[in-house]
Amino acid sequence: MGVLVIVGTDKGAFLLRSDAARADWKIQGPLFKGWKVTTVARDDSGRYFVATASDVYGQALHVSVDLDNWRQIENGPAWAKDTERKLNQIWTLNLQTRRFYAGVDEAGLFASEDGGESWSPVEGLNEHPTRDSWYPGAGGLCAHAVLTDTKNPKRIWCGISAVGVFRSDDGGLTWEIKNQGIPMLIEDKKHKEIGRCVHGLVADPNDAETIYRQEHTGMFRTRDGGETWQRIETGLDSSFGFPIAMDRTSKTLFIIPLESDEYRIPADGRFRVYRSANGGDAWDPLSNGLPQENAYMGVLRDALAVDHLDPCGVYVGTTAGTVHVSNDAGDSWTQVSCILPRILSVSVYVQE
Amino acid sequence: MPQVTVQLPSILGRIIDESRAIPIEADSLGGALRALVDRHPALGVHLFDETGNLRQHVLCFHNQTNTRWLHSIEAPLAKGDTITILQAVSGG
Repeated sequence: MGVLVIVGTDKGAFLLRSDAARADWKIQGPLFKGWKVTTVARDDSGRYFVATASDVYGQALHVSVDLDNWRQIENGPAWAKDTERKLNQIWTLNLQTRRFYAGVDEAGLFASEDGGESWSPVEGLNEHPTRDSWYPGAGGLCAHAVLTDTKNPKRIWCGISAVGVFRSDDGGLTWEIKNQGIPMLIEDKKHKEIGRCVHGLVADPNDAETIYRQEHTGMFRTRDGGETWQRIETGLDSSFGFPIAMDRTSKTLFIIPLESDEYRIPADGRFRVYRSANGGDAWDPLSNGLPQENAYMGVLRDALAVDHLDPCGVYVGTTAGTVHVSNDAGDSWTQVSCILPRILSVSVYVQE
Repeated sequence: MPQVTVQLPSILGRIIDESRAIPIEADSLGGALRALVDRHPALGVHLFDETGNLRQHVLCFHNQTNTRWLHSIEAPLAKGDTITILQAVSGG
């Protein structure tokens, strides 16, 4: 058994490979040299999908079965000319149900019914009655998180910055805003129910109704599919951050808080991951092996991943290009011997 | 139709897995770019934006002339002409 970590950066993707011990890493790359690799996902059949973007040459979606031979998908997500929207990048891919989803900037959701070969806009969300009041956050107007209920594929959640969380119960035809309990960040005169800035979402793998939400304004949890949200910040020095991940084996949560939305750096230069083993009721800082002096890098929302092994591996890519790995669920960490370009995405795959 | 050569930057050449110098037969500059995308559809999204125009930071030269200064992208081509695609980079 081996573990493959795909690190997407501002200048390409890097493949980090190890055996089950996850102690020694071999590095290969860059793939897609010169391109931003904004997100990566693997479908149930083992095909890898990589989203690339460029400030000059636009974005695209690529697919491969072997990580060596890649094919650009010709009918990837694209806005129609009459929308006057630009498709700047794919932020997230959800390939967990028969219908694939891609969340994009400029914000919207696209779906594929044919295994990713062609993509259509999810009109019910993209043309939502509140659409004219959607405003971008610092990272752009982006649909960056998509959750699906594998037991009921008609239920879908989508997080959009700086708008909030939407849920569909009818396979994407209609969408309701699910922000009750989340503080307003940008007040719209007409639509008081939006203007929330969701940064990250993760669902309990056995209970799609339980969702954890890293919000601009703090950490939240819902146990009713998003109808109501409650703060879960016990033990956190700061509740501002971007990524959130959950190990489906132990249901341990991981987040990486930064010092406030104003500064967005690790507090006091101490780089720490926070862990909750009780569904967010309390959080503990993890620092053993992480830089604890003069460390001022950030972690973007797609740059934290777990491998779901026992004990789970945790993988963090930073804006400084460093990769930090734990092979014992966060108890201890090592830094992989590389300094990469700014890291945009980290994903991990166990290979039999 | 005259045969011309389209020169691609390496970052785009890798996508189509072909030489960066692509022979194309076309009567006009616009016709050459359309023929290029017909042959390599993957290039379309990288050269043109949602409006159908060349992307803002994609430069296209017809021989030594920046096509942005031409009145029409339908300028006629002659045998042996070179069309060069570059990314607009200024300063460092």
